[in-house]
Amino acid sequence: MSSDMTLIRGVMAGDETALASLYDRYSGVVYSVAKRILDDQGAAEEVLQDIFYQLWRTASNFDESRGGLAGWLLVSARNRAIDRLRRRKPSEGIDDDKPVAVKSSLESEIAQGELMGKVKGALQGLPETQRATLELAYFEGLTHTEIAQRTGEPLGTVKTRLRSALQTLRQALNP
Amino acid sequence: MNGHPQFEEDFDLYALGALEGEERTAMDSHLKGCPDCAARLEEARGRLALLALSAPTSAPSPAAKQRLLRSLKAPGRRLENPQGFESPRRMGIWRWLTPVSAFAAIVLAALSVWLGVQNGRLSQAVRDVRSQQQRLKAQVRQTQAENARARLVLDVLTSPSTVKVDLVAAEAHPVPQGKAFYNPDKGLLFYAANLPSVPAHWTYQLWLVPAKGNPVSAGIFKPDRGGNGSVLLPPLPTGLTAKAFAVTIEPAGGMQQPTGKKVLIGVVSGQPG
Repeated sequence: MSSDMTLIRGVMAGDETALASLYDRYSGVVYSVAKRILDDQGAAEEVLQDIFYQLWRTASNFDESRGGLAGWLLVSARNRAIDRLRRRKPSEGIDDDKPVAVKSSLESEIAQGELMGKVKGALQGLPETQRATLELAYFEGLTHTEIAQRTGEPLGTVKTRLRSALQTLRQALNP
Repeated sequence: MNGHPQFEEDFDLYALGALEGEERTAMDSHLKGCPDCAARLEEARGRLALLALSAPTSAPSPAAKQRLLRSLKAPGRRLENPQGFESPRRMGIWRWLTPVSAFAAIVLAALSVWLGVQNGRLSQAVRDVRSQQQRLKAQVRQTQAENARARLVLDVLTSPSTVKVDLVAAEAHPVPQGKAFYNPDKGLLFYAANLPSVPAHWTYQLWLVPAKGNPVSAGIFKPDRGGNGSVLLPPLPTGLTAKAFAVTIEPAGGMQQPTGKKVLIGVVSGQPG
């Protein structure tokens, strides 16, 4: 199995089969997060295609030392889907689409499955109210105030819940 | 923000986009001047990226891949309609073409193909130049970083204010410590340091020992690689008078009552203040 970086070098050289291999490896996780955010198959497929099309056009700008491809794909999928959900211009997004250092490997299907199980297990371990608050922040890109307005909870309660959820999650996901 | 953010969650909240107003602008300006905190933010971004994996697993249609691969052959073109519907305006167009317009269309098509080939070659050349530029930039950055580090090493060795200390083997290990801040009406904050890691399927559990009755669980935690752990504002019955606090090692998920070895214990000795 070729590494991500070998395939990116192939993409840089204009090799379409290298891009197709990266698509086969990551289209599932990229599409799943876009679908979760947008709840629309067509819109989620547009986000998926936009991301891989950008990878094709700008692979030569990819700097491995700043983080791996998997992190960039996951962050881009979330940011672009939320921009679309909230009808924002990409420049108003929550963060840049810059590389992100994800410590765990996602290059094989087995590794992706194991990590998915770990993340889902960590979220299921949270109290329901904390999990719901974290999901509003992550999958809808809402701020503290927006979550308080959406749920009708006091702002202080929302802040405490989100902070506690993140603390538990960090402990659960640390190697 | 005058100092560094106090808790790791501050970086998570910033990376999530949950902060707003003054909280966000204070963090923005601090991060610009603090490489250490910028690195901690990168860690938080990497951690939060994993949350994407909690989305229910679903697969795109096979047609999505075909559309992507087709779009690669038309540089600069927008992606096709992802629903795959044919535009009504294109249906049956050849029926209405006259021979002259058909000839013009063929010439235009041939011209488009030729331009497409030229465009593809130029794009490849641009990619090659960018790739070369990227490699050179990386080499320059690495050389600059190595020079800066060598200067720092020399500075430390030659500075008159540098002290030299000889170290010998020490048998004593850092002693685990904990601090609890408890207000019966407002809540509990707990910080621990120098804790050894616990095996998988085990966890540390914090207990509030009330003046009357059985110990009450105040949450579970695992220390980070530096041995530091914390429990902030756990859900507890309000107004509970505490006699002591303790930390035990329990099976993952925690227990209703302490069963494991006591690692830390502290008795409430004085009045607040």
